[in-house]
Amino acid sequence: MKAKKALSAAAIIAAGALALSGCSGDSGENADGSVTMTFWQNSTTGDGVAYWEDTVAAFEDANPGVTIEMQSIQNEEMDGKLQTALNSGDAPDIFMARGGGKLADVVAAGQAMDISDKLTDATKTALGGVISAFEVDGKNYGLPTAVLPGGIYYSQDLFDQAGITETPTTIDDLVAANDQLKAAGIEPIALGAKDAWPAAHWYYHFALRACSQDVINKAAEDRSFDDDCWLEAGENLADFNETEPFNEGFLTTAAQQGAGSSAGLIANKIASMELMGAWDPGVIANLTPSKEPLPDLRWFPFPAVDGGDGDPAAMMGGVDGFSCHVDAPEQCVDFLNFIAEKDNQEAYATAFQTLPASQEAQGVVEGEALKNVLAAYNDAPYVSVWLDTLFGQNVGNALNVAVVDLLAGQGSAEDIVTAVNDAANKS
Amino acid sequence: MTSTSENLRTAQEPQVDLQAAGVGATAPTPARRRPSQGGNWRMRLEIALLAGPALIIFVAFVILPVAIAAYYGFFSWSGYGPATDFVGLRNYTTILGDPDFQDALRHNLIIAVLSLLFQGPIAIGLALLLNRKMRGQSALRVLIFVPYVISEVVVGLGWSLMLQSNGAANGFLDKIGLGALRQDWLSNPDVAIWSLMVIITWKYIGFAIILFLAGLQGIPEELSEAAAIDGASFWQIQRSIVLPLLGPTIRIWAFLSIIGSFQLFDLVYIIWGQYIASTAGTSTMATYMVANGRNAGSYGYGSAVAVVMFLISLVIALLYQRFLLRRDTEGAISGSKI
Repeated sequence: MKAKKALSAAAIIAAGALALSGCSGDSGENADGSVTMTFWQNSTTGDGVAYWEDTVAAFEDANPGVTIEMQSIQNEEMDGKLQTALNSGDAPDIFMARGGGKLADVVAAGQAMDISDKLTDATKTALGGVISAFEVDGKNYGLPTAVLPGGIYYSQDLFDQAGITETPTTIDDLVAANDQLKAAGIEPIALGAKDAWPAAHWYYHFALRACSQDVINKAAEDRSFDDDCWLEAGENLADFNETEPFNEGFLTTAAQQGAGSSAGLIANKIASMELMGAWDPGVIANLTPSKEPLPDLRWFPFPAVDGGDGDPAAMMGGVDGFSCHVDAPEQCVDFLNFIAEKDNQEAYATAFQTLPASQEAQGVVEGEALKNVLAAYNDAPYVSVWLDTLFGQNVGNALNVAVVDLLAGQGSAEDIVTAVNDAANKS
Repeated sequence: MTSTSENLRTAQEPQVDLQAAGVGATAPTPARRRPSQGGNWRMRLEIALLAGPALIIFVAFVILPVAIAAYYGFFSWSGYGPATDFVGLRNYTTILGDPDFQDALRHNLIIAVLSLLFQGPIAIGLALLLNRKMRGQSALRVLIFVPYVISEVVVGLGWSLMLQSNGAANGFLDKIGLGALRQDWLSNPDVAIWSLMVIITWKYIGFAIILFLAGLQGIPEELSEAAAIDGASFWQIQRSIVLPLLGPTIRIWAFLSIIGSFQLFDLVYIIWGQYIASTAGTSTMATYMVANGRNAGSYGYGSAVAVVMFLISLVIALLYQRFLLRRDTEGAISGSKI
């Protein structure tokens, strides 16, 4: 009896194992030579999804036998979901990446494809220096589609209504503008602290002004904060926070989802300003009542802060792009080269209302806000990558949450430094 | 309706369950008919066939994951490939020393205690009321049970919309002239946990009431009638007869409630999202685990948190069974002469 029981148990386990491995049905080359690739991107609504659907269809037409299965994944779910997929060995062939420590972690795990020699010369010329955002140890692991420098987006109508004539160039100006807005019954600054990173962007920008470029680069390598400027940035943010610049209930405000999100507050003219990257005009457009771009959306760079070693014209920003999984079929890189082509980059910039990575495509940038961003970006002495992207998920998340704590009055500037330095232990 | 013999059987039920579950019962065990040691092989085959699949699934999806988590808890592991960076007990010392984890544990304790204090009295009261014959009884019972049936995601989204700064709750307060009571119900760290308690109470009280109603059905009416003849008032009957006889049900409910409180995750995660539960003062051990394990990409650390959570829940469960549920197995209710 025992033998029989053991046998049947073994049979059940084997069947289960088969069923499980069957689920992770490998994409890649099929028996008839056709190729199927999975593709994860973070646009879930409107023109963004339409752009990817059209681009995938165009690529499939140009490459018979290649099928791309696209999945739209909500931005806040992307990091966690991607990591789970990579861990489970069921990774998408083409996935969204943003360079920095997060990409370096994926590369270190042997999960990203080295595409240094596979990008065409045309692609390399079009993208120029931006391509280095996806370099790890001198090799290239991805292709940028957009450059996304940060700054403050605002509604000109609301500024007019509050009687603000000049855009703030210093933090004191910004505080004064906030007071004018409050007096006019308008929420000054929308902040999606529920997603943590939008709140952290305020700290990053104070750090960008307080810390020199070298200090920031060194912190990215060490993943630790040992210069005093990190503390100074936190203190500056705490002082600014004292003036109550953010919308009511900012702690539970999401960044991009729905009319109650920070982008939604701008789109519906409840709040006047938002510190965001260059994806914001597109996100806001999707949340306006008419789903059309906000006509009076304008932009100014993060104000100068007294003292500090950072260049007042330096920018903080990110790069969106895509990487190939290490086991992806070679057509994956063809797809990356395809989306870097001028026409596709132009269509991308139009659909997402953002800045394309390809310099050849920058001519299509529309709207006063984005044109200002582009000018400031091209003039910036240096552009630092978002600190959470730079530091990787582990330290990055700890940093972001510590900033939220500070803004909610639950932590201090010291706590931010401690959280970053302690996060390395939680791994 | 209910006959005495049926009632007695209902009252004894917890006892049988607990003994079967191997809880240390010191009371005289009722003789149970068992097949003799040599028992016939057909019986064994039957047991193997019937219990086998469940056992395999239990081992594969409960025991094995716990063992694997315990293993990974000793590593610094980002989830890719095999774990190689052995760190000994570092993850555990970090967890226990982390103020965020201590906060989360404290929140779990608060939620567990407040759940008992809020839900218990209200649920008992409502169950006593609903147990009396009245018009619309079934409709009322269904209404009270509805929140329990709605999915946590729907409840979380609904409440978070209502409790936003510009939500229905504040709007209502404004409209009735109590604008001074406006609150950031979810964002204010001093208030958020109370908002959570209200939502939890609303959501889970239906379950407690249904349990208590079932328990009340099992209490013989004759006892109340006899007491009434002896001149006991309504409240005396409830206090001296009904509540003590409801004891086993209350203790089982409290047990389920405590374990549920220690594993609370979904409501908090839906309302406060991935990051800010600790800031708002509503984090639990489970949200801490997801934030510092999965979302941070630190799977070794997350596994260690899971083990700590498992051990805490296990110890509480065992202590509870040993000191509180044992009373039921000793026959505190129906006497030891079964």
